[in-house]
Formats: sequence, structure tokens, C-alpha cells
Amino acid sequence: MKKLILLTAASLFWSATLFAAGTQYNLRVDGLACPFCAYGIEKKLIKTEGVESVTFDLEKGLVLVKAKEGMTLTEAQLKQLVDDAGFTLRSVSEQAL
Amino acid sequence: MKSFQLFLAVGTLSLFWCGVASAHDPVFSPGPHVLYKEGVEVHVGAHSEKAGQEKETELGLELTYGLTGDWAAGIELPYASVEDGADKSNGIGDLRLFTKYRFWRKDSLGRQESAAVLLNVMSANGDDQANPPLGSGTTDALLGFTYGYESLTWYRWTSIRYRHNGEKSGEDSSGLRRGDRWLVDLALGYRPTFPVYLKPDTVWILELNGEKGQRAELNGSTLANTGGSEWFISPGIFWTQRNFAVKAGVQLPIASDLNGNQAESDYRAKLEFEWHL
Repeated sequence: MKKLILLTAASLFWSATLFAAGTQYNLRVDGLACPFCAYGIEKKLIKTEGVESVTFDLEKGLVLVKAKEGMTLTEAQLKQLVDDAGFTLRSVSEQAL
Repeated sequence: MKSFQLFLAVGTLSLFWCGVASAHDPVFSPGPHVLYKEGVEVHVGAHSEKAGQEKETELGLELTYGLTGDWAAGIELPYASVEDGADKSNGIGDLRLFTKYRFWRKDSLGRQESAAVLLNVMSANGDDQANPPLGSGTTDALLGFTYGYESLTWYRWTSIRYRHNGEKSGEDSSGLRRGDRWLVDLALGYRPTFPVYLKPDTVWILELNGEKGQRAELNGSTLANTGGSEWFISPGIFWTQRNFAVKAGVQLPIASDLNGNQAESDYRAKLEFEWHL
């Protein structure tokens, strides 16, 4: 019985950890041709509530945005942020972390 | 007559400053880059030029604000040091206001092509009575168009600008007006190593800069030793890391067709630091 309780508690903790990790948004952005210019996107996104980190893969035109658990970024919101930075948002996909 | 020549020379340095978010634009000419919306750019730079006995150095602090993702505006506060033989002057130069609007942009994977118009207004606050003068004593305006193509490896830009110079007023110089000036530029940039975000990034730049000035006028009569054209070849470098940039270059004269008896340019040089906040 003691083992069963421990096992249940451990699995609950594991699943809570899994779902507490938030969401990663993969942004395909056109026009990203230099790292200095990409800073504008980082600056706009990092100021957005719930955004934990922003990383870039310039070769693939990817901006990877990690958002905290429970925070949702809409496509319209991301499109506006990217446009304000002077680039074009081509597509967005998301994955749970 | 010498004071006229000095007056006519002032204002050349202000051509150095392209104004508005020069990030990843050429060193001596404007490109279509602007600043992200609500972004602030702090830009400090030193420009120097020598032509015969005249030597001018200017330090400038430039602040730019991104009004939208395609429109930026700012102000530049210069501090000038001018030498003409044994005479020297130091002090605040002519303050400049500038704006740039990117009216067209075509983005694709790893590439950006765009075009912009720009306007600079140079005030008359610098001391034009100093010897040599630190300001032009006139309010001048510069209107320009620029196109740029940027990729992860290659860059190319072109621009054309027209500078309209105001008429000088005052007891000793009323009716004196420097000639208007056309400027055309072609530039090519090459990035030897693939860029990685947060890592240092270098772009080598080679520019061809041309200037053609009309003759100055005094009470409606043209002055012989004024105006003409000069062409420069200008190697430069653009080094960046995240939100910090260093830009440097030198303009070397390759052709000169100045009217009358005027000193040809020996060199012009520029060093700039830029932060995006």
C-alpha cells in the first residue's frame, strides 16, 4: 500500500512537471538576413508577458519562442509583433514542452 | 574671399551623417533600414576629412526612435573641430533632425529587399562667425531615396540624395548661398562567415560615392571657385554582436572635377558605434 501511494505521488509529480513546462512556438519569419536586425524581434517578444526565451535559427528563418505554462500567444499577436520588428511572419506551429 | 570659401566648406561634413537607423546600411551612404517599433538607437561617431590645408573632425551623438516598424525619426547633436592652416575652432555644430520611411519591403527566407525615402533638416545653430566657422549659418534640407537588398551572404544598395542649401543672411554675407548638391551611391556588402545569433558578425563593404555640387552664388552672381564633382571608392566594415555595432570606413578620392581653384579631398574617414535599446 505504501509503495502504491509513493508510485501514484511520483507519477502525479512527473505529469505535473511535464505539463508545467509551457509551450514552444516555432515562428517561420521571412526577411531575417542578419543577427543585428533580428534583435528587434527578440526585444519585441521578450517584452511580451509570458515569454521566457527567444532563440533564432537564421538559416532556417526560425524564431523559437518559449512561453510559460498557461500563457497563450495568438497568431495575430505574433504576426503584429514580428511586423512591428520589420519582418514578415510566414507561419506558426506550437508544441508542448 | 577666404571666409566665403570656409563658409562654403562647412556643411560637407554633414553629408557624412546619413541619419536614421543606419544599422546594416553602408558606411558612407544611406540604406533602407529603419528601427523596430518603439526601439531606441543610440549612435556615437567620429568623422574626419582633409582637403588641402583644411581639416575637419566632428563627433556626433545621434538618437533615433522607431515610430512604427517602417518609420523612424531622430536628432543628431554634433561637436565639431575645424582647422584651416593655423586657425582652429571647436564647438557645437549644426543640429540635425532626420526621418526615414520604408515604403516598400519584400521578405523571403533569409532575404530582405526594401526601399525608403528620407529627409534630413540641418539647422543653423552652429557658430558661423567663428574662424573657421562651425556652422553653415543656413537651414538646409536633404531629401533622398534608397534601395537595399540584404541576404545572409550578399548585400547591395543604391541611393540618390539632393541637398538644398539655404541662403545666408547677415550684414557681412547676405545674398551668399552655397550651391545645391546631388549625391549618388552604389554599395556592395559581403559576409564571409554564416551568421549565428548572439555570435559576432562581420560584413565587408565597398562603396562608390559620387557628389556633384552647383556653384555658389553671391547676390545672384556665381562664384568661380565653387562647385564641381568628386568620386570616392570607400572600403568599410560592419561588425555586430547582438544589439551592438561598430562601423568604420575610409573614402578615397578616385576622380575629381572641381571648378576653378579648390583643394581636392585627400581622404574622409568614419568610425561609429551603435546600440539598439
